[in-house]
Amino acid sequence: MALKSSPAVLGMLTRLSRRSFATSKALASKPVTVRDALNQAIDEEMERDEKVFVLGEEVAQYDGAYKVTRGLWKKYGDKRVIDTPITEAGFAGIAVGAAFAGLKPICEFMTFNFSMQAIDHIINSAAKTFYMSAGTVPVPIVFRGPNGAASGVAAQHSQCFGAWYSHCPGLKVLMPYSAEDAKGLLKAAIRDPDPVVMLEDEIMYGIPFPMSDEAQSKDFVLPIGKAKVEREGRHITLVCAGRGTDTALKAAEQLAGSKGIECEVVNLRTIRPMDFDTIARSIAKTHHLITVEQGWPQSGIGAEICARVMESPSFFELDAPVWRVCGADVPMPYARTLEAHAVPGPADVVDAVTSVLGNKISAVQAQ
Amino acid sequence: MSKLIPSAAKFLAGNTITKVTAPVVATNAKYSTKKEATFEIKPYKLHKLDQGPATSATLTSEDALKLYEQLTILRRIETASGNLYKEKIIRGFCHLYSGQEAVAVGMRAAMRDADSVITAYRCHGWTYLMGVSVLGVLSELTGRRTGCSRGKGGSMHLYGRNFYGGNGIVGAQRLGRRYPLNKQYQDVHQSIN
Repeated sequence: MALKSSPAVLGMLTRLSRRSFATSKALASKPVTVRDALNQAIDEEMERDEKVFVLGEEVAQYDGAYKVTRGLWKKYGDKRVIDTPITEAGFAGIAVGAAFAGLKPICEFMTFNFSMQAIDHIINSAAKTFYMSAGTVPVPIVFRGPNGAASGVAAQHSQCFGAWYSHCPGLKVLMPYSAEDAKGLLKAAIRDPDPVVMLEDEIMYGIPFPMSDEAQSKDFVLPIGKAKVEREGRHITLVCAGRGTDTALKAAEQLAGSKGIECEVVNLRTIRPMDFDTIARSIAKTHHLITVEQGWPQSGIGAEICARVMESPSFFELDAPVWRVCGADVPMPYARTLEAHAVPGPADVVDAVTSVLGNKISAVQAQ
Repeated sequence: MSKLIPSAAKFLAGNTITKVTAPVVATNAKYSTKKEATFEIKPYKLHKLDQGPATSATLTSEDALKLYEQLTILRRIETASGNLYKEKIIRGFCHLYSGQEAVAVGMRAAMRDADSVITAYRCHGWTYLMGVSVLGVLSELTGRRTGCSRGKGGSMHLYGRNFYGGNGIVGAQRLGRRYPLNKQYQDVHQSIN
């Protein structure tokens, strides 16, 4: 083997030292996967408060269907990490009942598609109770699990529930993107006295993100109801959540490189209550808006954002109509090519941006 | 490298087991020539019944061969699906019916043509038995337009004549409870006329 130059050797050494991941919290420079961030969040909250417990299918002995609850059963035992039979209506009801009695359950759905079996408990038993009881019965429960399309799992396993759950008053709906989002939002959700639905993403579970020093702390909590500007820009605002943020950021990279269009990417983090102020401030800066989501177009998150913009002074800040980039209005097909067309990708966002900025592109480049 | 090959071949040849042809037998007595066979079924424990199901069953040799053919075809479909899944040509989920083919084949043999079936996600075997060709099943699993759901359903969403899938969510088989209701509804409706 020829002798390698020192920059190459340094490169190799950096790659080697970066190889070990994620369950240790020692160095801020070590990237942490979303899965490990969620694991840390649940672990820290269970340690902090004895009333917190986890239940769901495969959460205990199998270490979690997606390994999010890895190691928790060994650490906390049968009483606090509970394997349930395949009956969502059953165990979601048990979890809500436990919350009524004062415990703090984390109810895991293997995917949110199965939550439809238990949706009566989520809406009627959990979401509405605090209101119906005039504040006498709080329901401090967290429903969490992967949401949206994975790869090749077809119609009944690929639905995005952001629009459905964010429709209901009484629920808080969170959609994390990065590992920091996942950890901070889950900790906030567990500490929150109201029912929270945490819509994670199976494909994001394995993706590592850098975790800042403060995110490593055991008291790192992100505020519910506050969006984050992931990328500053001045030409157009892209509002997104969850995996849509990944799509939007990739599209923003492409646009900045090829067309010189600077997109401001707003990661909602919380769908309900939605942080409209951040969106309004961004529109005041860029005057153009696109929403990016994986769910179906009708009555979706993008539709809600459009309506709010129309009903607020932000409408007068817009120089062009708002455009929604959504999943295709069909049940998710199975064939690979059809599935690729049914889910929005960076190319779709790039097309939408070019359409919205329309014939103003040459003006943009001249700036 | 090429110098190694002849010696490697000799090494390998030394360990080869040479095939010995089976001795030619005068009669074809290897296979049964009986026209039918009777099987004793373990007696059932009865609760508040005077008579239980039959305790013996008779199977003719043609039926036996048909059943065996169905069993083998199902096994081969599932083995092929398993291999395609390992090569990632079948994506998402692939729930195989290997080992329980007899359940579907037996039920199908006892069913009438007018009967409908609904099942859960382990449905490849049932799809074939309800009349979809092997090509239809495998094309669907590999996401092709020629599949029984035109590539849109995938492994868990296969449908056929009198066959309602193929359901991904556990418990969806309760849809099958509509059949007694339908029958009751039709009976009532007919009696009105």
